[in-house]
Amino acid sequence: MKLAETLIVCAAGLLAVSAAAAGKADSHIPGVAKPERAHSDYILKCQGCHRPDGSGDTVSNPPLNGMVAKFLSVPGGREFLGRVPGVASVNLSDERLADVLNWTLYKFDEANLPADFKPYSPSEIGHLRQVPLRTERAALRQSIVDQMQE
Amino acid sequence: MADWDKLTEKLTRGVARTSSRRSMLAWLGGAVTGAALIPVLPVSRAYASSGDPHAGSPGRGPVTSGNLQDPGDRTQCDYWRYCAIDGFLCTCCGGTVSSCPPGTEMSPITWIGTCTNPADGRAYIISYNDCCGTSSCGHCLCNRNEGDRPPLRPQSNNDYNWCLGTESSVYNCSTAVLIGVAVEPS
Repeated sequence: MKLAETLIVCAAGLLAVSAAAAGKADSHIPGVAKPERAHSDYILKCQGCHRPDGSGDTVSNPPLNGMVAKFLSVPGGREFLGRVPGVASVNLSDERLADVLNWTLYKFDEANLPADFKPYSPSEIGHLRQVPLRTERAALRQSIVDQMQE
Repeated sequence: MADWDKLTEKLTRGVARTSSRRSMLAWLGGAVTGAALIPVLPVSRAYASSGDPHAGSPGRGPVTSGNLQDPGDRTQCDYWRYCAIDGFLCTCCGGTVSSCPPGTEMSPITWIGTCTNPADGRAYIISYNDCCGTSSCGHCLCNRNEGDRPPLRPQSNNDYNWCLGTESSVYNCSTAVLIGVAVEPS
């Protein structure tokens, strides 16, 4: 009986710890006011092409996983992420777009975030999306990726 | 041979005595009019029995989840998950609402929308993965466009062929996979 009680207490403790960890993961993402909503927006606006795990593909939907935050370390990369067509033209408000972009950076590529990274603000996103990239997107992206590898 | 000639003559004269060109025309007119009326006779048609203009293939029975929280016939266009679909329903094509027919491949790249479940009034996120690899199914065409946006927003447009990332880009049918609950309207 005592062993059973001990096991139950241990299991309850583990559950509490894991719940706290999950809560922390969801509620403490810098620059993300509503993580749950940001995740929902990612599903609705991004996941269809970039896949649920951000893996994308090598043909038309570039991977986010392990890749997207590298853009922030290259000149022009931060602006590129706010001007790329899928981001700039999405039917979300500036606040929600900043949330989902910051959420994506932390969720899929936190390891590559620069030490001095400052999350996108709604006003910054609002300015960047005013000048969306069009046909020049592919060439610009390639030049940024080339700089990453230098 | 002479007997044959006599018999033919007798028959011909008999017809000539008992009929006229006018009666022949009247008979022919009646036959033509009667033939035209055959399609409107109350003949039983299996596909008409459902009474739904969106009903697909003849003789198809309803396909339901058996769960009160997921109501509706999945072979019908008015099933709640199909609110933003544009294509042939895989449930009518040998697949299900969330799986592809044998011989086709589900596209990993997909158009995603939200639909309200009448059972609880909540908005759910639905992924309309296309099934690809064989020619169009042709059954149960369903074109509802809630949340559909113009092609300048390709991620929110359902008119495209979403058979991308598959071996073949030939479209067969569309599924409606439930992948989450929408937090807030976009």
